[in-house]
Amino acid sequence: MLSIRDLHAQIGVRKILKGVNLEVKPGEVHAIMGPNGSGKSTLASVLAGRAGYEVTKGTAHYLGDDLLALEPEERARRGVFLAFQYPVEIPGVNNAYLLKAALNAVRKQRGLQELDAFEFLALIKDKMKLMQMDESFLSRGVNEGFSGGEKKRNEILQMAVLEPKLALLDETDSGLDIDALRVVATGVNSLRSPERAIVMITHYQRLLDYIEPDFVHVLSDGRILRTGDKSLALELEKRGYDWVKQEASAA
Amino acid sequence: MSAIASSPATVHYREAFARLQPQLGGTASLRVAAMQRFAELGFPGARDEAWKYTSLRRLESRRFVPAAPTTTSVDVPPAFVAQRLVLANGSAAGPVPAAFGGFTLGTLQTAPEDQLLRTFVGGGTERFAALNAALTIGPLLLSTAAGQRSDDVVQLSLVTTGTGPTLASPRIAVRMAPGSRARLLLDHVDDGAHEHFTNAVLDIELGAGAHLTLYRLQRQGERAFHIERIESRVGENACFVLRDSQLGAALARLDTHVSLDGRAAGTEITGVFLADGSRHLDSHVLVDHRAIETTSLQDYRGIAANKGRGVFNGKAIVHAGAQKSNARQVNRNLLLTPGAEIDTKPDLEIYADDVQCSHGTTTGQLDPEALFYLRSRGLSEPEARSALTRAFAGAVMARVDEPVLARHVHDELDRRLVRLLEGSV
Repeated sequence: MLSIRDLHAQIGVRKILKGVNLEVKPGEVHAIMGPNGSGKSTLASVLAGRAGYEVTKGTAHYLGDDLLALEPEERARRGVFLAFQYPVEIPGVNNAYLLKAALNAVRKQRGLQELDAFEFLALIKDKMKLMQMDESFLSRGVNEGFSGGEKKRNEILQMAVLEPKLALLDETDSGLDIDALRVVATGVNSLRSPERAIVMITHYQRLLDYIEPDFVHVLSDGRILRTGDKSLALELEKRGYDWVKQEASAA
Repeated sequence: MSAIASSPATVHYREAFARLQPQLGGTASLRVAAMQRFAELGFPGARDEAWKYTSLRRLESRRFVPAAPTTTSVDVPPAFVAQRLVLANGSAAGPVPAAFGGFTLGTLQTAPEDQLLRTFVGGGTERFAALNAALTIGPLLLSTAAGQRSDDVVQLSLVTTGTGPTLASPRIAVRMAPGSRARLLLDHVDDGAHEHFTNAVLDIELGAGAHLTLYRLQRQGERAFHIERIESRVGENACFVLRDSQLGAALARLDTHVSLDGRAAGTEITGVFLADGSRHLDSHVLVDHRAIETTSLQDYRGIAANKGRGVFNGKAIVHAGAQKSNARQVNRNLLLTPGAEIDTKPDLEIYADDVQCSHGTTTGQLDPEALFYLRSRGLSEPEARSALTRAFAGAVMARVDEPVLARHVHDELDRRLVRLLEGSV
């Protein structure tokens, strides 16, 4: 589904990704872990199409297409979803409008009829319940005045509504207390399916207690140094990232 | 008439006035004095501070023909509300009804002239208010009875029309008796057939405890010149509310002056302008706090794109003795495309010590992170830009509590934003 080959990216003259290789198949859950500044969020940003990053080498293919050649909205419509590390507050654009516009954009791409207001409400009601969000939230501005936990729950709600094929979760666990983390994890787990791939970017092992990955990758200094199963995350928790770096440089 | 100003434009209007005068109602001396004042002041020069960002060179170079009384009917867009009166070049197309919603209507034949043809001292538009007083052909007096309260919005459609470039001088006087309440919608349009010049005056007085909401929509054609002065005096515990949408004309200038004369008088002046294409839109607001416990809010949102240019000049003066007054000014501006420009100048003068005043002004572009967020959810770039731009105007638009008008302004903003955003990406 997602095939990243030797991906190099930089901001200005600062090189951040220095040859990332990653294969993600439908149904798989991947965790990308790594120390601060290792390039985790850059990888998510490049895949979602955020401006300001220059890809200098390598490729990223999504369902056989050159992902990097697509506009951000085109990626979204084809089923790529990025849950933001810092969801943006947009006063004056309400959540219902955004959800409906986003859903209809995706449906149009899939050759489905646009939903009217009633169908839309029926669809999101259950998903909101799952994310423990009150209906009053629909008429509020996008993320406006939301707590950190509410913002992250809103990201997962959007994901649940849009049903992407490939979900990229950028530090979705950061800033969450344990209760909020559980809600978010429940939301993500409800979306696990044989057709859907999930790539979680995280600094801590904690999230992986709730969302069990099939693969764990360690990203450091712009490269994936090691790949393993979930036990790698536990080892990292015990031994820290330096251990992986040392082993990599020894090899 | 003594010869004072020698500008060819001034001479043109004096001569036109002389020809038209036999057809104008009212006492000749009042008209002549007003024309004299216009001639004295003439068109603003390049160094006139009140016209620093707005050049009237183009307007001055034209020779508009002042409108004469006429009875021909004109085409107007559908009304927003049930009760509407159409004024062509400032005068009613048919007989003026005696009542209009909660208002009693007066004309030069039935109402005191000194109420209908007043001039105002000061401000950049004193000259044009004087020109209006000289040339206006059907000034209307809208008055309420004490304690008369009406929540129905009544609409005045002011149409500028003519077989050649025409100067229309509509003038509306509103006298709100103590304790009365009314809502008035002013819709400025033109026939689009020629380059017209609309020079409008609103002369408003609110007695104690009165409340007036004025909705203003300026949607004249691409070639129109529009200058307007809203002069409002607010008595004790009275409140004047203006909801302005400045969307049309090639060049438009609105001067709103509110004098808070009575204790606890208040005003709210909010508006939105959209300077797209090569439109030049200039809004000046001046609030004088002249009594204790007076309150004012100014909140304008300006949008400019392409070669459009916006000007906003908001000022509040808290005079000596106007203690416990509260003056707030907000002006936020959005530049949608490179090349657009908005010049803004918040201004505050305070001569009392126990007051609360604030002003904030910002000019910027759409937040790129918010744009990316919306696009990452599948919205196209024009959709995302349009949504963010509507959100920007939303805080002010939310105050337009006449739903049909609000819908129209929303749709019009949408239509023009999508057009210009799709064109620019």
